[in-house]
Amino acid sequence: MSVFLKSLRDNRRGYLGWSVALTAVAAMYASFWPTLGQNPELTKAMDSYPQSLKEALNLQDMSKPENYLGTSVFGLLVPILLAVFAIAAGTKAIASDEEAGTLDLVLAHPVTRVKLALQRLLAIATALTLITGLMWLVVTALRGPSEFTSVSPGRILAVCVQLAFFGLFFASLAYAVGAWTGRKGLAIGAGAAVAVLAYLSDSFLPQVDGLKWIERFSPFEWYLGNEPLKNGISGTSLLIFAGLSAVFIALGTWRFNRRDVAV
Amino acid sequence: MVIQTENLRKRYGRGTEALKGLNLSVNEGEVFGFLGPNGAGKSTTIRILLDLLRPTSGTVSVLGQSPHGNAAMRQHIGYLAGDFVVNGRQSGHELLRYLGRLRGGVPQARIDELAALLDLDLSKKIGSLSKGNKQKVGVVQAFMHRPKLLILDEPTSGLDPFLQQQFVRLVREASANGQTVFMSSHVMSEVQQTCDRVGIIRAGELIAVEHINDLRAKAFRKVEVRFQAAVDLPNIAGVRDEHWDGNVWRAQLTGDADALIKAIAPHHVVDILSEEPELEELFFSYYQTGEEK
Repeated sequence: MSVFLKSLRDNRRGYLGWSVALTAVAAMYASFWPTLGQNPELTKAMDSYPQSLKEALNLQDMSKPENYLGTSVFGLLVPILLAVFAIAAGTKAIASDEEAGTLDLVLAHPVTRVKLALQRLLAIATALTLITGLMWLVVTALRGPSEFTSVSPGRILAVCVQLAFFGLFFASLAYAVGAWTGRKGLAIGAGAAVAVLAYLSDSFLPQVDGLKWIERFSPFEWYLGNEPLKNGISGTSLLIFAGLSAVFIALGTWRFNRRDVAV
Repeated sequence: MVIQTENLRKRYGRGTEALKGLNLSVNEGEVFGFLGPNGAGKSTTIRILLDLLRPTSGTVSVLGQSPHGNAAMRQHIGYLAGDFVVNGRQSGHELLRYLGRLRGGVPQARIDELAALLDLDLSKKIGSLSKGNKQKVGVVQAFMHRPKLLILDEPTSGLDPFLQQQFVRLVREASANGQTVFMSSHVMSEVQQTCDRVGIIRAGELIAVEHINDLRAKAFRKVEVRFQAAVDLPNIAGVRDEHWDGNVWRAQLTGDADALIKAIAPHHVVDILSEEPELEELFFSYYQTGEEK
């Protein structure tokens, strides 16, 4: 497990920083609930928005805390930031290291490429657990002070678990492109492109006539579509994320184990 | 045979062929110098030996095994590149402990011994070290586990002359210890001081393999003899470009010095100076003849 432990150690500042930052964002939004959510003026203003815009922006009846949390806390900024973290971490696992010329030395040691790649991925999975775990603890702790006790800790856990799998999906994608090509730019580009497409196909594109179906293929839909804050964990969502991540990881690792390592 | 390649070819994508049928044999316990101009295929060969690159065709064996996917084999190899780069946000200690663990543990005493020999502070962050000091960290990680085979790719680039000398000492120690060293280098003095044999690669092919002593015999050295007074010297075998400068006679000598010594012996010789043979120019002639082909 040397590679896994070293990977955690090398990235400790980043992992802790992202955990604190993402949790702070979630906590800040959550603590606004008493001011924003229970504000009748705001609810009235939002009622006047066209239905399509409300759907596109994932705005729902803001008088219920689970809707507020689903929209503002877990709906936009947090998953987008987590995707950014996941793409950066997945890229760093192989492609960044390779482009920096620092991969050679480790590979000249008695460690197989597969073992190296999988242990680094395990470190990323650990980081995702740390980030979403801390977020769960802090948001759960805010239930009393911020007056959303009607949302159970189990439901908050459900959305955090689905968030972690959402992150795993993007980390695996960026890892796979990076491990396949050895190119940092391609890995980040592919991850960012999929993230943008994923967001659009869950927000604006389904509003276009005849494009409603596209929603079903969006990672944002897999992440929040079943409304985990109301309905708990969706096994289907986790299965889709886990399955696709496994395919990405398998393909990237397969190719990485066969190709030349760049100078 | 510690390293053996047969008809080894490497083509990058559809592009240039970096190795065009390389046949290389390195014996156990020898120090083999691998020389050639930039872009000749030295690093490509080394990267194939380490399984960082996969050959297009041909066979390669390292320590009697194929390097392909063979992590266990790398247990017995120490590798150092000329541009030793690692994540700079770790101390030398931290990196060496990690690399040692990948090898199943290296005694701390051995690491400290090497660091002391090279006058290297391992507690500093690697990013804050000078290029030369970074390279020393590289030297330590390559030698620390006393590998059966050292693969060194222009190892002393960036090291000052004192450290080059320490490096030569380490290579000689390793050799005396029965370890095999395969080293590419541009620094002729270290090649001359360490290598038993050298192979010269040009444009992806090995064009010559020579014992260093045979090369020495072929190379010329500058000779300077100061006489009491100018004398008439006969034609001397192996001597060329002779000229007088007052009472000082200068010339270039190739091979055996016996004829020269006997020719000057009857005269009053005040002083005699013979330089280390200059292999650099000899290699240069090897490199060049190829380009003219």
